[in-house]
Amino acid sequence: MAVREIEPIELELDRLEHMAESGYYNPYTLFDWPDAIEPDKPWMSESLTTLAGTEMWDELTREQQIALTKYEAINFFSLNIHGIRELMSEVVMRIHERTYANVSEFLHHFIGEENEHMWFFAQFCLRYGGKLYPAQPTLQADSVEHLSPVARELVVFARILIFEEIVDHYNAYMATDESLPHIAREINRVHHQDESRHVAFGRMIFTNLLGQVAKRDPAEVPLVAEYLENYLRYSIATLYNPAAYRDAGIPDALALRRRALEHPARHAAHERILKRTRTFLTKSGVGRELVK
Amino acid sequence: MQAVRNFILERNPKLEQLDDDLDLIDSRAINSLAFVEFIFLLEELTGESIDPEELDLDDFRTLNAIGARFLKQKAAS
Ligand SMILES: [Fe+2]
Ligand SMILES: [Fe+2]
Repeated sequence: MAVREIEPIELELDRLEHMAESGYYNPYTLFDWPDAIEPDKPWMSESLTTLAGTEMWDELTREQQIALTKYEAINFFSLNIHGIRELMSEVVMRIHERTYANVSEFLHHFIGEENEHMWFFAQFCLRYGGKLYPAQPTLQADSVEHLSPVARELVVFARILIFEEIVDHYNAYMATDESLPHIAREINRVHHQDESRHVAFGRMIFTNLLGQVAKRDPAEVPLVAEYLENYLRYSIATLYNPAAYRDAGIPDALALRRRALEHPARHAAHERILKRTRTFLTKSGVGRELVK
Repeated sequence: MQAVRNFILERNPKLEQLDDDLDLIDSRAINSLAFVEFIFLLEELTGESIDPEELDLDDFRTLNAIGARFLKQKAAS
């Protein structure tokens, strides 16, 4: 790791660290896990499923609709688990690098909290769904080889931030959705609380590293914008898991997935999910308008 | 096989020709972000499901390998 080429990162994190300390909780005793989920309740908000707003949703039987909320909830939590597991390992490797010495304290909070999130998401999936979906395959020759070391550092933290903001869009809504079982609401609520600190930190470190990229070579900024735009689209696409459609008893899962991804109502939904992140990227000077 | 070629060419406008032996992964013609979509495309074309935990990257490296493994044919046909 060529972290030497990167200037030490200094951020004002006292407030976030204090909040992490005072809000610290024991995840292993916090939740009251019921024996089962009430059979007729959705596991995730119906308006957040990948078919919401389309005729494909209306064509499902009520049974299939409920099953879809169940398997898409498992997919959503599985994505969280695998996504954060991979990104967290990147953070672990950096925790005592000179570049990160000044933010190391907060990184410890981050790693500890993410470990706990992985635990309660997996509990939910395994207790009530009996499984997780497997991680998506990744390639060794990755998509950032064309970027400078500092831009690659930026990408690590940008991926975490983008991922967290997308997830938080879902958590924030489900935290107060009265149609959900209590335990599903609680998990979303607790996660939403921790993630507000992570997102605040993520934006600070993103801004710092983007500044370093731009200072070294302003011409690299559009390349980063292109990568991030691809990553946003990729992240959205992972929500559409054909295995979840199959498990919900919906035929032609792959064709359905393609139709759903292209549907105008879904495009509008994607814009809503990404709105906050896109606004931030544009304000930071690395939005999709830079992509040719 | 044409659908596979189109998928790659659409994502790599700079690629002028697509050799059957080109290493699609090392050349970054298919990157991590596109790989998942690529697997779904192959599943749809073959009607066969590909287990993400069991897959062998070498089956995806070249058009020839993809043809032999998934489409039971030579890339050129
Ligand atoms: Fe988390
Ligand atoms: Fe987080």
